[in-house]
Amino acid sequence: MKTRIPVPADVPTALPRHWRTLEERVESPEARRAAQDEFVPGAMDLSDLPAPSALTRRGFLGLLGGAAALAASVACDRKAEGTIVPYTRRPVEVIPGVANYYASAFQEGPRVYSLLVKTREGRPIHITGNDEHPGFKGKTSPRAVADILRLYDPDRLRGPRDRNGSLAWSEVDRQLQAALSGAKSAGKPVLLLTGAVASPSQQALLAELQAALPTLEHRAWEPALGDGALIGARAAFGQDALVLPRLEQAKVILSLASDFLDGEDPQAMAAFAAHRRLSEPGQPMNRLWVLEGPLSLTGSNADVRFPVRPSRLAAVAFALARDLHVRHGLPLPVGADLGAVPGGVPPGVDLPAQAWNRLVDELASAGPEALVLCGGSLAAEAHQATHLLNTMLGSRAQEIRPVSPLATLEDLEGLVQGMAGGRYAAAIFWDVNPAYAFPAAQAWKRAMDQVPLTVWIGLVEDETASQCHLHLPANHWLESWNDYGDGDLHVLQQPTIGPLYDTRQGEDLILALLRGLGSSVPADYHTYLKARWQREVYPKGTPVPFERYFEAALHDGLVQAGKAPAAPAFRGTGSAEAAQRAFSAPQAGLELFLHPGFATHDGRYANLGWLQETPDPVTKMTWDNPLLLSVADAQALHLGDGDLVDLSLGGTTLRLPVVLQPGQAEGVASLALGYGRTTGSVAAHKGVNAFPLVAAGTAAPFLREGLRIAATGKQKTLSRTQAHHRLHGRDIVRSYTPAEYTQEARHPGPDADPASLYPDQRFPDHKWGMVIDLSACVGCAGCSLACQSENNIAVVGPEQVARGREMHWIRLDTYYEGPVDNPTVVHQPMLCQQCDDAPCENVCPVNATNHSPEGLNQMVYNRCVGTRYCANNCPYKVRRFNYLEYTADKTEPESLVYNPEVTVRPRGVMEKCTFCVQRIEDGKIRAMSEGRPVKDGDITPACAAACPAEAIVFGDLKDPHSRVSLLAKSNRGYKVLEELGTRPAITYLADLKNPALEGGRHAK
Amino acid sequence: MHPFDRASRFVLPAGGLAVLLTVLSVGWFTQPDRFAKGYAPRQPIPFSHQLHAGVMKIQCLYCHSGATRSRSAGVPSAEVCMGCHRVTRTDSPAIRKLTAYYDSGRPIPWKRVHTLPDHVYFDHRPHVNAGIACQTCHGPVQEMPVLTRVMGMRMGNCLGCHRDPHAALPKGSPIKRGPEYCSACHR
Repeated sequence: MKTRIPVPADVPTALPRHWRTLEERVESPEARRAAQDEFVPGAMDLSDLPAPSALTRRGFLGLLGGAAALAASVACDRKAEGTIVPYTRRPVEVIPGVANYYASAFQEGPRVYSLLVKTREGRPIHITGNDEHPGFKGKTSPRAVADILRLYDPDRLRGPRDRNGSLAWSEVDRQLQAALSGAKSAGKPVLLLTGAVASPSQQALLAELQAALPTLEHRAWEPALGDGALIGARAAFGQDALVLPRLEQAKVILSLASDFLDGEDPQAMAAFAAHRRLSEPGQPMNRLWVLEGPLSLTGSNADVRFPVRPSRLAAVAFALARDLHVRHGLPLPVGADLGAVPGGVPPGVDLPAQAWNRLVDELASAGPEALVLCGGSLAAEAHQATHLLNTMLGSRAQEIRPVSPLATLEDLEGLVQGMAGGRYAAAIFWDVNPAYAFPAAQAWKRAMDQVPLTVWIGLVEDETASQCHLHLPANHWLESWNDYGDGDLHVLQQPTIGPLYDTRQGEDLILALLRGLGSSVPADYHTYLKARWQREVYPKGTPVPFERYFEAALHDGLVQAGKAPAAPAFRGTGSAEAAQRAFSAPQAGLELFLHPGFATHDGRYANLGWLQETPDPVTKMTWDNPLLLSVADAQALHLGDGDLVDLSLGGTTLRLPVVLQPGQAEGVASLALGYGRTTGSVAAHKGVNAFPLVAAGTAAPFLREGLRIAATGKQKTLSRTQAHHRLHGRDIVRSYTPAEYTQEARHPGPDADPASLYPDQRFPDHKWGMVIDLSACVGCAGCSLACQSENNIAVVGPEQVARGREMHWIRLDTYYEGPVDNPTVVHQPMLCQQCDDAPCENVCPVNATNHSPEGLNQMVYNRCVGTRYCANNCPYKVRRFNYLEYTADKTEPESLVYNPEVTVRPRGVMEKCTFCVQRIEDGKIRAMSEGRPVKDGDITPACAAACPAEAIVFGDLKDPHSRVSLLAKSNRGYKVLEELGTRPAITYLADLKNPALEGGRHAK
Repeated sequence: MHPFDRASRFVLPAGGLAVLLTVLSVGWFTQPDRFAKGYAPRQPIPFSHQLHAGVMKIQCLYCHSGATRSRSAGVPSAEVCMGCHRVTRTDSPAIRKLTAYYDSGRPIPWKRVHTLPDHVYFDHRPHVNAGIACQTCHGPVQEMPVLTRVMGMRMGNCLGCHRDPHAALPKGSPIKRGPEYCSACHR
């Protein structure tokens, strides 16, 4: 099947400037052979198909004849044309076939996202950011986009139940009322454990519950936030606070293992990217310094990056503060004392003095336009020092937002003791999963058994639910009302669909509890929320009646009212002790860095296939959390990619595969949290649970020392896409330093557009094209998830990904450049280039793929017979083949998430990016119906709409004034593989890095 | 009789006839528009377009209001019917049935007359907004007591008009051709 082209003898011996895998880097013979192979080994292997039955040829022909006769007899009758089921009473705003958009909101921990939900005939199908939000400007986090899948999760609990079976809500109310009234009269505490409370109405409701039930102990816990950040903020500000980067004015940014570009904060990503989108050399550009252990997405976008052991970063921050104070005279805040801190590079940190001095000077000269950010996994001292640094710099590039108090792991240990000691009459767990995410989960579960009544409120029964007496199904947020405080904004969350099952919103349940305790409260949370708005948000003396005011707020999804809570003042006391702790003797040996998973976060997203299958932006792992090691450490331990090891630390042993990660600091192992769930049909047994490795009760629970790694001699097949779709080491990505950019802009290389034998394509009306700015792109994979949601892209599972059969139409290729221990990284979104002379079109035997007069490389599924010649001939490796039937077994509720404007592809069909042709056609038809030409900006594909960095611009290349036409002429512009004469419709703008040091990127 | 004689007198003509009959019958059964044209199923309520659109001269868009705004023209909700039939002909059995549907909230299961394959994304908007009469594809609906399909609605029908739309378009329309590329309708 596979024809292997022999490797010619004259393969260039020079290493390519950019590389993707370590084998390529060292040019191993295996890598060369793999580069010649069209598909990943196993992609063409059909051995996982159902085994052929023992049918004889005669039997087969007999069945065939019978089937033909049956088909003929069926064909003699008119085929059922189906029924049309119209509304009995059509809601005024619904026109069947036309999408409606509703503003709503989504909460992840203390973060709030204002969203726009696209609904069709009353069912939500796609999520984007709310363009009315002044900060997010229509962008949102990839996880918010993917959370629509949870609404249609078939694992959702569909009605209340206890250990014996299903239950009526009235019975639930009765049991809860009895338990709580009993607890109240007996004066016994009741535990309520929730996630972060970001909603003022929810907070007011909980305060009412506290008043009605004085023995209530409410704790809010976010397992992924990191106790270091909490304790550090408490030490610096005396309260819990969230640091929000405001990078609009930032010139110099120093990240101490802070992954602020990981997609969670679209506002920070947009502001960061805005200062990297140069149109001419010499324009000002921000500079990102990153000191971190494992290579993070932020680190991969760094201008200057040094691998540093994360445990040393607190000392780094204190030493920086001391040098800024001593050398540049930056005043220390009152109470801060750095007398004992030595200046210069702290011991145990491998940083050249030249780089250190440059960093100190840059921070000092940028002053208020500099910002230091500290990663959530770091120790409390690092956070405290970072707050000190930003106070000294007077940084205007951040917002310190007070948040309602959160519990630390130490607090939770107190709860375990309380539960085990029979302190609580009842315990309610609402959207938290401590039986999974608490480090000593077994102790937690045993303690739970000592509580007379345990109640779980959530969507999909999890590890905590299986320990609880009552399982109460909650509404998804798309079925719920709520409001959130977001600085000076009040953000509203409104239901976009009625509850699919017999569920209740958590807040409605609290109202029921209040009613049971004898309080007089509104019938539902919607009424409660509106009443609170009328009392507290609605400005007094407004001429607009409240109903109109509330409707307008619902329409926009937010209102600006009142003032943002004041930023807490910095207190310097305690800095001397913290500095002393930070400088304690560095430990030798491997240290472990734990961090929330990109896809799973703290495990709450683990049941969402879209997120599980999205490759991690750095490691490109799907469905798994391997142990990341630096290449040097792995070589010392004689380990390679996929080797299974036993990781032991403090009595916990985990067996997991190893991945060698370029850029990882030596002596640092890292592992993502949120995997290894034991419940959920998608989540269960994917990866390993790293929460048992978290050190409860310390100031740095996510940093561990003293781990041991033992090879097992076994291997695991990695579902990792880094080596898929190789591009043969050609000139795919370009990355310039300012000097190279100046050179390129002055003396552009010759345009490689070879003459074509084919007649030129003609485009009478439109020529759709795209520009992707690699300098703005941070590689967060937001485009990929938005595309998955818009275009009904199938999830194939880890075994299929390992065979290179993932279906994403747009993928993020990560290229490394330079040394393995600290490479420069470029991320490149790769999708169908919509070539004018497309190699795929010429080889299709059935003309299933051909060119449209608008420049689109069309894919006609009903013509495709699945020869895969097109994928074979595509130099960009962007065609995806449905090797197996991924969609036919999807029934409701899963199928409800499909976009009805896009065909759901069956087995045996090729597919690829269409530039969201459904949106193009809709935009054209809308313009035509309004009697006007299509305007620039009318049509936005899902990827461009989702990109927080605005790195993707789409438009009509025939219109000389469109944004895409102007950008395509940029002096950074190039087309990938244009020397092949494919004439792509996508222009990439070269990446820019702004290195601070002589010797460019790899100064040592 | 010699076997050759028997073959030439009986077997050959019979065989030829059998082949001919097979070809003809298969051809007739599978002719493209055999089931498409003339399809007029019995509807749950015997609604007459002849009465409403022909005699009463109610505009098509009054009921099928999606045609200018949406991909699908839409079948009116029972509420639209009840707009008149709360007071009109309330004693007729069909209207009683309609009222029963309306009151119960159950949707009326109309039989689909015009249908397209799943991979076709036909959009009413550009056609109706270009001034193409509904009758161009749906036939003289205003003369049909029972709605009957008059067009096969196959890709040839679409392309025929897209290549030469003059007959269907109103006089003076600037439109010369309709799109003929795949993704205009398939995606």
